[in-house]
Amino acid sequence: MPDTTVLDGIAHEPGVAKPDPILVADGVVRRFGGLTAVDVKHFEVQRNTITALIGPNGAGKSTFFNLLTSFDTAQEGSGTFDGDPLRKVSPHKVARSGMVRTFQLTKALEGMSVMDNMRLGAQHQPGESLLTAFVPPLWSKREREVTEQAHDLLHRFKLYAKRDDSAGSLSGGQRKLLEMARALMSKPKMVMLDEPMAGVNPALTESLLEHIVELKHEGMTVLFVEHDMHMVRRISDWVAVMAQGQLIAEGPAGTVMQNKAVQDAYLGEHHDTDLSEGN
Amino acid sequence: MDILINALEQMFTPATAAFAIAAIGLNFHFGLTGLLNMGQAGFMLLGMYGYAISIREGLPMWLALLVAMGAAILFGLLLGWPTLKLRGDYLAIVTIAASEIVRYVGRSNTLVDVTGGSLGIKGKDYKGPLEELSPFPDERLSVGPFTYHGSASDSWWLRVVAWSLVALLLLVFWRLSNSPWGRVLKGIREDEDAVRSLGKNVYWYKMQALIIGGVIGALGGVIWAHGSAVVADAMGRPTTFWVWTILLLGGAATVLGPVVGSVVFWAALSLVRAVAKEFIPESILPSTAIEPFGLMLVGIALILIVVFRPQGILGNKKELAFHA
Amino acid sequence: MFTRPDRRFYRAAALLLVAAAAFVIATLVIGGGPADAETVEPVAAGTSTATLVIQNVINGLAFGVLLALAAVGLSLIFGTTGLSNFAHGEQVTFGALLTFFLSTNEQVTIPLVPGSFTIGLPLWLAAIIAVIVSGGTGWLQDKLLWNPLRKRRVAVLQQMVVSIGLSLALLNMLQWWMGASRHRLTNASGGRITFGDFYIGTQTLMSVVIASIALLAVALFLLKTRLGRATRAISDNPALAAASGIRVDSIIRLVWVMSAALAGLGGILLALFDNGAGFDSGARILLLMFAAVTLGGLGQAFGALVGALVVGVVSEVSTVVIAPDMRYASALGILIIVLLVRPQGILGTKERVG
Repeated sequence: MPDTTVLDGIAHEPGVAKPDPILVADGVVRRFGGLTAVDVKHFEVQRNTITALIGPNGAGKSTFFNLLTSFDTAQEGSGTFDGDPLRKVSPHKVARSGMVRTFQLTKALEGMSVMDNMRLGAQHQPGESLLTAFVPPLWSKREREVTEQAHDLLHRFKLYAKRDDSAGSLSGGQRKLLEMARALMSKPKMVMLDEPMAGVNPALTESLLEHIVELKHEGMTVLFVEHDMHMVRRISDWVAVMAQGQLIAEGPAGTVMQNKAVQDAYLGEHHDTDLSEGN
Repeated sequence: MDILINALEQMFTPATAAFAIAAIGLNFHFGLTGLLNMGQAGFMLLGMYGYAISIREGLPMWLALLVAMGAAILFGLLLGWPTLKLRGDYLAIVTIAASEIVRYVGRSNTLVDVTGGSLGIKGKDYKGPLEELSPFPDERLSVGPFTYHGSASDSWWLRVVAWSLVALLLLVFWRLSNSPWGRVLKGIREDEDAVRSLGKNVYWYKMQALIIGGVIGALGGVIWAHGSAVVADAMGRPTTFWVWTILLLGGAATVLGPVVGSVVFWAALSLVRAVAKEFIPESILPSTAIEPFGLMLVGIALILIVVFRPQGILGNKKELAFHA
Repeated sequence: MFTRPDRRFYRAAALLLVAAAAFVIATLVIGGGPADAETVEPVAAGTSTATLVIQNVINGLAFGVLLALAAVGLSLIFGTTGLSNFAHGEQVTFGALLTFFLSTNEQVTIPLVPGSFTIGLPLWLAAIIAVIVSGGTGWLQDKLLWNPLRKRRVAVLQQMVVSIGLSLALLNMLQWWMGASRHRLTNASGGRITFGDFYIGTQTLMSVVIASIALLAVALFLLKTRLGRATRAISDNPALAAASGIRVDSIIRLVWVMSAALAGLGGILLALFDNGAGFDSGARILLLMFAAVTLGGLGQAFGALVGALVVGVVSEVSTVVIAPDMRYASALGILIIVLLVRPQGILGTKERVG
């Protein structure tokens, strides 16, 4: 079992240092024209924990998420992932180094089968290079391994029966599951989930939550953006709150919800959000 | 009866093969990867120039082929470099502009010593080496209702070479599209950000697709040149649009789509022309209007295919190459 | 997407001036002289390169203004619907050929209708009718083709290939109708106004004046009228515009009518500038229009003007150093170079690109 008491002694303040951070961001600024969308002084994610990134609409969560995964480029700032610098690294290299993301609007590759979606997630397939692609013996062994791994994951995510269907025929929730399973094909160190619960029906949310907790048990680190306070409360070890582009609070879910600045930020946006009770 | 035999003949001309080859190239671009290359005629023309000029200047045929392919590789690198990171229609505009530049430069009087200007390069300057390899006799041969020369120009030999090349390239497409490499391209076609998030270098894959499709287009140009001549104006925008019509008609992303498309396209065009000539009186459709009339129908056919059957004859509606 | 000509406009204008100056200086330094320079109206032998360059800049600016008029519709359609309309060139040709059809004293025919006849309207009346009919083709096109495609949620790129098919069909229809030869709208040669070493044809000057007025009208429409503001709102954010009560479909219909009419007018004026028009006149300049629109930043109406001036000047001035039959190639070359350096176009803002 992962040790979640490791965060116990940490101060509940934004930008606080963690004992063993896997992801560190420093002085990240992203401006669009005159508008500063993200201005985060310092942020660390503790290894092998589940960290939630929350905040009212327009707080810059998704932009920050895109910056961390290199899908967007910051004007200023630096960061490291597992010790390696993140600045000016292309998104595919970030993914290869072990930090894989999903998208708020699910990006299942709809014209392809569920199985091909999964296979595409695997790394180190020599057949993905043009010259070796001509000679199947050079890549068919790896293809069998990848297929086997995909079978295991599809069983686990209850998509095995759908393996030959096109991804376009899946329901919204199933696509979320597929996207997560596909991300796991690369055996990542860290999984970044952008609103994993958005548009998922209640029956599937429970199993999605279990899957996320399972990732931690397998030694991975999870950072996820979420609106649903209830979900955040249930699974996260640590919560970071953003408002107006800045990190305004950090701490365990219970403490953060009581924070005056957090309540103000939410009340400024949604008068009807009841933080104390969750959603 | 003559009309039908003529249409049947059109199905297997070197020109039909050349367009099938160009469409196989475009299938790598658009069918597999979703790239909007609107300059396939430019790749074909560069192939023709590279090949014909090399042979005229005394290089052996295999080297001339390498020059033709090399020209296409350089062209692809040049076009892909600025555009493959941008939205799809930028590639469309840049490729069409660049292929027109190739044509303008090729037909310009400035380079008349190299490209032959608007008159182009004559067949005798470059057709020799391939025709010398012909195992067929140097005379006209009839098989059934079809009569062609054995070895020279629009010959039996060229038909054998052209369709063998078609078969070879179909094999290449089949092998690659069913490999992990092809899977990455199909993923890019569906959603390139998703593929990026899975650790694939999308830019480089798009570049590879652009280049390999362009090289195949150049080979199509070489076959076309052997069937007729090297003339810049034959490779204008309409040529690119025909290749698109052929690919979409046959079915993008399918293995046999380009060949089926090309065969149907040329046979249908020949039928339309012949029927129009035969049955519509001169007072309504003068003979000078038959050519534009036929090509107008090509345009209308392209609209109808794209709107009502975007998967073409052979395609699968689920695996459409068009994405918003 | 259509912002007021603010600081960026002046920056772009400055950039244009610097580029033009650099080009002039470069040509003077290289001093190749008018090797093959064979413009439509050759300048008397013995003129210096500088004179030639400036004369070409004048021709280029004139051509640029006319090109802008023809291209502004392309930009409006892209801005409001996201479509790169490849059939826009035929719209340009149609205006010119319809004017010829209505005004010429030669025998004319209509496809599939036996017999020939003469209409022989005065040129100005023919031109007005042609512009109105052009607008009508825009209305018809949107009603029968583009609006249904948008309703069916056909992808924009798919629509683009449809426009390619339409272009191919219309081009050949025009050739069927008018044959392969060029037609002159007027036989009057028109005088020329000389000032010092330079000149401009009266016909050209008239065309440029009319085009400038039309462009000004478009600008006023976009900036000052309610409909114009609605058009810009749709370009900025169609969903938001629809939510705020703007009738998106009617505005887009209007944009199609305007674009087609402006293209028609542009075609007529270009035919006067160019001493005639053929079935492929519009197709020949389609890419220059795309270049203008892309240079200015896709979908930016004012960008199209700046882009068109750049394209006009570059293509004309380049004839000083390269053969005239390659002058369009140089304009397209500039397009590719600009995309390399500044893919969002001269006026576009960076965030807009993919």
